[in-house]
Amino acid sequence: MKRMHVRTLLAVGIVAAFAGLVALSYVQTAPDPADSQYYLARPLSETGASNRVAGIYLNYRLIDTLLEVLVFSVAVLGVRYYLRKSDNIDLPDLSESEVVQTAVSFLSPLALLLCMFFAIFGHISPGGGFAAGVIAASALLYVAIAYGMTATEARWDPRRLAFAEKAILLSLLIFILVPAFVGKSPLTDLLPKGTPGDLLSSGSILIYNMLIAAKVFIGAWLVIAAFALHRGEL
Amino acid sequence: MAAIVAFILFGIGILALVLRRDLVIKLLALGMINAASILFFISIGDRQGARSPIQLPGDTAILVDPLPQALVLSAIVVNFAILALALVFVMILCERYHSTDSTRIEQEIAREIDVEETPCL
Repeated sequence: MKRMHVRTLLAVGIVAAFAGLVALSYVQTAPDPADSQYYLARPLSETGASNRVAGIYLNYRLIDTLLEVLVFSVAVLGVRYYLRKSDNIDLPDLSESEVVQTAVSFLSPLALLLCMFFAIFGHISPGGGFAAGVIAASALLYVAIAYGMTATEARWDPRRLAFAEKAILLSLLIFILVPAFVGKSPLTDLLPKGTPGDLLSSGSILIYNMLIAAKVFIGAWLVIAAFALHRGEL
Repeated sequence: MAAIVAFILFGIGILALVLRRDLVIKLLALGMINAASILFFISIGDRQGARSPIQLPGDTAILVDPLPQALVLSAIVVNFAILALALVFVMILCERYHSTDSTRIEQEIAREIDVEETPCL
């Protein structure tokens, strides 16, 4: 009982200290409205992306995004390593009823279409590679729930996809590094910028978005498959 | 307003993280803390009457600050990575000690260490 009191005090202390710290920093250096216009004040033609967020994280801060993708890959690797199957158990066939299957066969193509839209138009409208990949992975999760993990895994084999994931990561790295070798300005200056608002604008951002979408799709599916297969079924 | 909600959510998350003993609840609290920080960042970038930061040439509308939104993307990905890995470790602990109660797992581990050390004495 006494230990519980100490824990409560500790927790309340942490929360109070954090709130005080943030309030203090907020009062002392309140954000200047001019600061928030820093990136917006730069010309649109600098990145060529009408989606300013995509312009920041795939152009000005490309290395940050690259390391993010690496963090994601490490997480997928860790999950797969610790949940690797020790023995091949015979999974029961746990597919859902026909109602669910019909609904899924209608919904998951729509989700895949949405994934492609977000990946291809991520630089001129809301969207982007990460969101697109997660949407596609959830479409595959629907399929796995409706038709059973065994049938889905046979078609989307995690072992082969793990290889594809690493290949996509490598091609992303190479594509980001290529401009440095051909004498263009490092990282982003390989393709022409185009007119902002067009589909073929913003240089390499379109290709980054598509590669990241494929990467996140496969990675998230590998995580889902690792959890489902470890447990037996979804 | 959104910042205040974010602070409240953050506080609830920290309290649950420290006070609750169930490891799964702790992970949920961690996710809640992450959601609160995302909300806080997005609320910082907001301005009165501003639109989402999608801009066409010649467009002079007031836009929200795109930088916090770009930064939040990292937070989301890292949160996903942390939660997925932590969930795996919770599953391993649960398989070994048949409990997700952190105190009980600690006791079990202490007992295991005692059993291991007894023959040496």
